[in-house]
Amino acid sequence: MKQLAIIVSWAAAVFACLFLLAPLVVIAAASFSPTPVFDLPTGGASLRWYSRIGTLDGFWPALWLSVEIAVLSTLISLVVGTLAAIAITRGKLPGSEILAAALVSPLMMPGLVLGIGLLQYYRSVGFTASWSGLLLAHLVITLPYVARTMIAGLSRFDFTLIEAGLTLGCTWPQSIVRVMIPALAPSFLIASLFSFLASFDNYPVSIFLTDVRTKTLPIKMLQYIEEAPDPTIAALSTIILAGTVALLLIADRAVGLSRMAGTAE
Amino acid sequence: MTAPDAGLHLSISNVSKRFGATTVLEDIHLGMAKGELVTLLGPSGCGKTTLLRVVAGLTHPDTGRVELAGRDITRAPPYKRNVGVVFQSYALFPHLDVAGNVGFGLKLRGLPKADIASAVHRALSLVHLERYADRPIRALSGGQQQRVALARAIAVEPSVILFDEALSALDRKLREAMQSELRHLLTQIGATAIFVTHDQEEALTMSDRVAVMYKGRIDQLADPRTLYDQPATAFALSFVGQSLSLKGKVVSSDADGSVVETSAGPLRVPRRFLRGSSVIVATRPEHVTLTAGDNTLTGTVVGATFQGSRSLVEIDAAGTRLTAEMPGRCTLPERGETVIFSWPLSETLSFSGEEHA
Amino acid sequence: MTEAMPAPPKLSDPERRTAFLLSLPAAMILLIMFILPLGLLLGVSFTGPEGFSLAAYQRLLTTPHYLSVIWNSLKLALVTTALTFLIGYPASFAIARARGGWRSLMLGCLFLPLAASVIVKAFAWTILLRSDGIINSTLMLLGIIDEPVRMIFTQTALIVGSANVFLPFMILPIFAVVAQLDPRLGEAAAMLGANPAVAFLKVTLPVTMPGIIAGVALVFSLSVSAYVVPTLLIGERYPTLAATIAKAYLLTQQPAFGAAAGVVLLSIAIAVVILSSRFGRSSGGLS
Repeated sequence: MKQLAIIVSWAAAVFACLFLLAPLVVIAAASFSPTPVFDLPTGGASLRWYSRIGTLDGFWPALWLSVEIAVLSTLISLVVGTLAAIAITRGKLPGSEILAAALVSPLMMPGLVLGIGLLQYYRSVGFTASWSGLLLAHLVITLPYVARTMIAGLSRFDFTLIEAGLTLGCTWPQSIVRVMIPALAPSFLIASLFSFLASFDNYPVSIFLTDVRTKTLPIKMLQYIEEAPDPTIAALSTIILAGTVALLLIADRAVGLSRMAGTAE
Repeated sequence: MTAPDAGLHLSISNVSKRFGATTVLEDIHLGMAKGELVTLLGPSGCGKTTLLRVVAGLTHPDTGRVELAGRDITRAPPYKRNVGVVFQSYALFPHLDVAGNVGFGLKLRGLPKADIASAVHRALSLVHLERYADRPIRALSGGQQQRVALARAIAVEPSVILFDEALSALDRKLREAMQSELRHLLTQIGATAIFVTHDQEEALTMSDRVAVMYKGRIDQLADPRTLYDQPATAFALSFVGQSLSLKGKVVSSDADGSVVETSAGPLRVPRRFLRGSSVIVATRPEHVTLTAGDNTLTGTVVGATFQGSRSLVEIDAAGTRLTAEMPGRCTLPERGETVIFSWPLSETLSFSGEEHA
Repeated sequence: MTEAMPAPPKLSDPERRTAFLLSLPAAMILLIMFILPLGLLLGVSFTGPEGFSLAAYQRLLTTPHYLSVIWNSLKLALVTTALTFLIGYPASFAIARARGGWRSLMLGCLFLPLAASVIVKAFAWTILLRSDGIINSTLMLLGIIDEPVRMIFTQTALIVGSANVFLPFMILPIFAVVAQLDPRLGEAAAMLGANPAVAFLKVTLPVTMPGIIAGVALVFSLSVSAYVVPTLLIGERYPTLAATIAKAYLLTQQPAFGAAAGVVLLSIAIAVVILSSRFGRSSGGLS
């Protein structure tokens, strides 16, 4: 009976890993397809789809927009979310638990509903700037990830580290820059990673807030897939995947995956 | 010790501090000579940590004056005081390795790299961790982290080193070993240090003088021997070492002392009290013998335990439980036996009842 | 003392004022960009041509077509949750018990797909499941089937894709709880005379309940509002609430109706949060 349980759990784990990796392997393989019909590159690999990525209609502006929005919303959320997390974890704020729950709550709410809510809202207040509208919306997407990670990180942070810095000769600002920020670096890294990816991949909110000139990469990609799904899209997907792998490797080096599993779903 | 003394290395005078409606420090005076080791001893909430933070500059007093090495530092921020602090949590920087932690203060002082390296090495060899310089903090045991925190504090050659319950996180055996080692090390480098602890054994082992603190005041400031033999208050008596005490009323008083009527019988004390005032009479367990003497009482033995070098006899004297300490080899009385016991007048301590905790 | 009363935040206290100021920007973003828009949406959903109206809800909750749309969303979420739980629960035990390299490898297998774009993953499944796709060609090559089996744009494709996308969200919360369990817990129960099945039901299941609740709540609330996966893997054949909302806003321009559908979806999500926190509390366990 005990043996059976172990076998079942290992079988499930191996299956889960293969099942989860399958689409990623397939997309990478298909990107080297020698023909336009997603053949596995058994005969010979081709890199021609990669050279075509740049020729996709509207690709560069979409990529730039997505990176820009993801980076900016992550930076703003890091500042805003960390300040709030300090207020919450230092326990001097009445109702800090409610604020903590509220800050994380957009994670559990359907993005699509937030998207139409913001669309209605922008319309009703006459706000038409789509770039800044998109950035503001992405703050709501990224803030919960930052808040959750930083609340977890700061609740483990020993604030006497700052006092130790002071007694060793740091001024207050030096204590923040040379002690607090580096000591919290792992949390900042995890928060940035999740926040960046959440914004960069977002579709359900962005779709309602873009116009013809401001389309993010996920919107463009879905459009390419629906219009003409050829291996160029697989090549593009593979590059995005490779970037994701690189980010994860950096995070693993700096923090360790086990710790990430503890602080983030 | 009322006015700041020019010859003192550290001088705290008239320091008071309130947090809202609570007074945490009330008119504190404390002077320390260079190279002296002083412990602030007391229960939690007595203000000892606040006093330490006042010296470190992490808390500012409402009134009073703090002078260190001839300089008024009352309003100086921590980074301009040249104090070293060993925190209870050690507060080691997790993003730096051992050498990075120890050299942190020196780097801020803008020392050349070579000087920092040699100072770090010197500090680490004092705590026997010179081989651990490249280790990350999380790879160290609790005892090793404690040593790194100490090395970090002494590396900057501070005018005074402050220890905030610095040994309390260690297990008992390690703590006892660290106590004597730390004292030896501090004497060796001629450091002036203040320890904060609630552990009386630590206080007696580590310090030249102990300040017993209670409710924001220093009850008594004395060397360990005096503190034990002549506690100034009933609180100092109860907090340091074992004691037996009885409450009573003064029935007569003359030039040599007073007679106090307690529930167990009359007792003589070598101190004058007003007739009718309530007094606590006490002694140390090792002064008690099972014979008649100056202050003799009768009681029933409720328990006797052999502990090797000594034996403890618990006696019920008219409802008050008293513990007497006997030499280990003596014949112990039986449980339920009625015994006569006494202690000499010279070892009789007395305190005014009003000041009792 | 009068201070025993729960007083309103006294901003005169400098530490409280600092904490208040620190949390202000985040609270403002939350209020202006999250709570107000959702409140406005609620208002819009009750708006008809002549002011207040229940028409949108009436249409949504009485038309058989839209009732089946709501059911479609719930069914997708239920099946996805059940499937990911069946795989994820036993799997998280193996991952938690694994040591060193194996554990890192398996956690990597969870994090990479989690971090990968949903669109990329859904697109990959369209490649895998197409009639001329890899699964069909492999099966034909092996002689198991003679002609391609239709897989893409079926409910099977939807479920497989959805389970694939949301499986990490089930495993990670359960893993986080299981990894902190004392492995001797089961042995202790066995020594007390419980047989393995009883030990599992009486010990393992209850102590892992907080992780299960978190995983189930997360997967359910994510999959009930999934948009990209159904769009790419089944499309118009399986209309969901999410698709209905998108259509109402992007194509047919019926904001009140779309808003009402959004409110229904939001209510489901809120119900999941409330239920999970209630069960989470009563199950106690490790928090």
